[in-house]
Amino acid sequence: MSAVGFYWALYRTALKSVAEYRVDFAVGVVTAISMQLAALTFYWIVFTRAPALGGWSSGEVLFLFGLTAMILGFAEATLNGIWWLPWYILDGQLDRLLTYPVNSLGFVLLSRPELHSLGNFCAGAVSLGVGWSLLSPPTYALALVPLWVVSGAIIYTGILVVVGAVTFRVVGPWVSHLFAVHQLLNTSRYPISIYPRWLYLLVMYVLPFGAAVFVPADFLRGHGSLWRALVIPPLAAFGTALVAKLAWDNALRAYQSTGS
Amino acid sequence: MRALAAPTFRQSLAGFVVLAQKTAQTKLTYRLATLITLLSSGFAYCVFLLVWREVYRHDPHAGPLSREQMMAYLVMAFLVNSALIMNVETRFLQRVRMGLVTGDLLRPLSFVFFQMAQATGDVLVNALFAVPIYAAGLVFAGSALFPASLLAAVLGALSLVLAFFIAFSVSYLLVQASFVLQSGYGIFFARAALHQVFSGLTAPLVMFPQSLRRVAEWLPFRCEIETPVRLWLGHAELGDAPRLLAEQAAWGVGLFVTGELVFRAVMRHHQVQGG
Repeated sequence: MSAVGFYWALYRTALKSVAEYRVDFAVGVVTAISMQLAALTFYWIVFTRAPALGGWSSGEVLFLFGLTAMILGFAEATLNGIWWLPWYILDGQLDRLLTYPVNSLGFVLLSRPELHSLGNFCAGAVSLGVGWSLLSPPTYALALVPLWVVSGAIIYTGILVVVGAVTFRVVGPWVSHLFAVHQLLNTSRYPISIYPRWLYLLVMYVLPFGAAVFVPADFLRGHGSLWRALVIPPLAAFGTALVAKLAWDNALRAYQSTGS
Repeated sequence: MRALAAPTFRQSLAGFVVLAQKTAQTKLTYRLATLITLLSSGFAYCVFLLVWREVYRHDPHAGPLSREQMMAYLVMAFLVNSALIMNVETRFLQRVRMGLVTGDLLRPLSFVFFQMAQATGDVLVNALFAVPIYAAGLVFAGSALFPASLLAAVLGALSLVLAFFIAFSVSYLLVQASFVLQSGYGIFFARAALHQVFSGLTAPLVMFPQSLRRVAEWLPFRCEIETPVRLWLGHAELGDAPRLLAEQAAWGVGLFVTGELVFRAVMRHHQVQGG
């Protein structure tokens, strides 16, 4: 079996496993949608008080909301396993995994898809669709949406892996450091031009969520150029994935089993 | 066989205090995780602050509150929210899932007070972190963060105690849905979503669109954040204070009693999963 075939089989098995819990699935989807609605309520409050935010109209900000939610949903549906790393280490499951003839990072990431991701993804798609109908960007841009979403999901997961690598050194049943990354992703729901310079630089270049959300949305509203929207997101995703792989390998070298 | 005598009020109180202390000690063991959680939620909250700052930069008369009042409100709202973070749902679900609830029901301290004592321990630790948050808030919002008067400070503090009672009772009531769902995930996030929208965490209710405000006024969540902050900062008229406090007390008692009644009804039919 090829490597791609193996990971596909692993992912399908993991998906079947979580799909068994149907009530959890339904509750998860409703919950994810309600969290997105909560965020949109703040958007509603703000835009009843202001016609625009940092030069972005309400419709344009919907592009940011939509892309951010779709990226989150896609990452949760595919590469979500890093959230379980602390328990893999504590339970000794990682020790067993390290004896498998597979790439440990790929295995960990694909092993726990989260089905509530469907709620985030759909809420994002609806937000993007509403923004699209209000502003009518060029139709061909629709073909670029998958590229932006996949790039964003890789960036988000890559940063989670870099931060998650801390778990190898500070072992414990907590994911607050990963939650910090999740919170950072939410900065891309609003135009990053309204943030202080240091924060702008952070989310644009260091933890480049802005590259996958802000740059494409800027293009969709007719301000940014096509080549930037086409090149920057995958480039940022490639760079983040590379750093994540290095961080994982480096952390793994220092890993000492918990003896569970 | 003679039944054990029920504990006196004094014994129950002593048990409550010791349990709260022990919970605080346990939570302090995970202080790094608590600190990171606080920092990350503080960071996320900065997004709301920055959005409002931009709104007021564009239009200094964007709402009934001035820019300074709005910034002070937001900082205090974050502070109150951080102080009231409790692990009621997590602990409750653990007791149910592992079948430990059977043992809890035999304890001299009733289950609800057992949970409340632990929630008090959470809040005690949060209070430690609230001091540096307040100091950082002073840099951001300046003297507008100070209480409007000594009376406002007393009313704000009293309102905060009632807000804790409401926050605990809301969690205790909602988490009972886990007996039906067998999972706390949905409950935890549903409560978080409702809290984020209706508590006044991201904006005071006067900034809400009329329809949303009307809904928020019929729910208890605003009593957790908005009421203590308005009283502390003097955004509420002093004449309104008795009504606001009474409203909080009514919500607290109502939710607490409902939660306890639901729990007793559920326990009559609950089948322990066996651990």
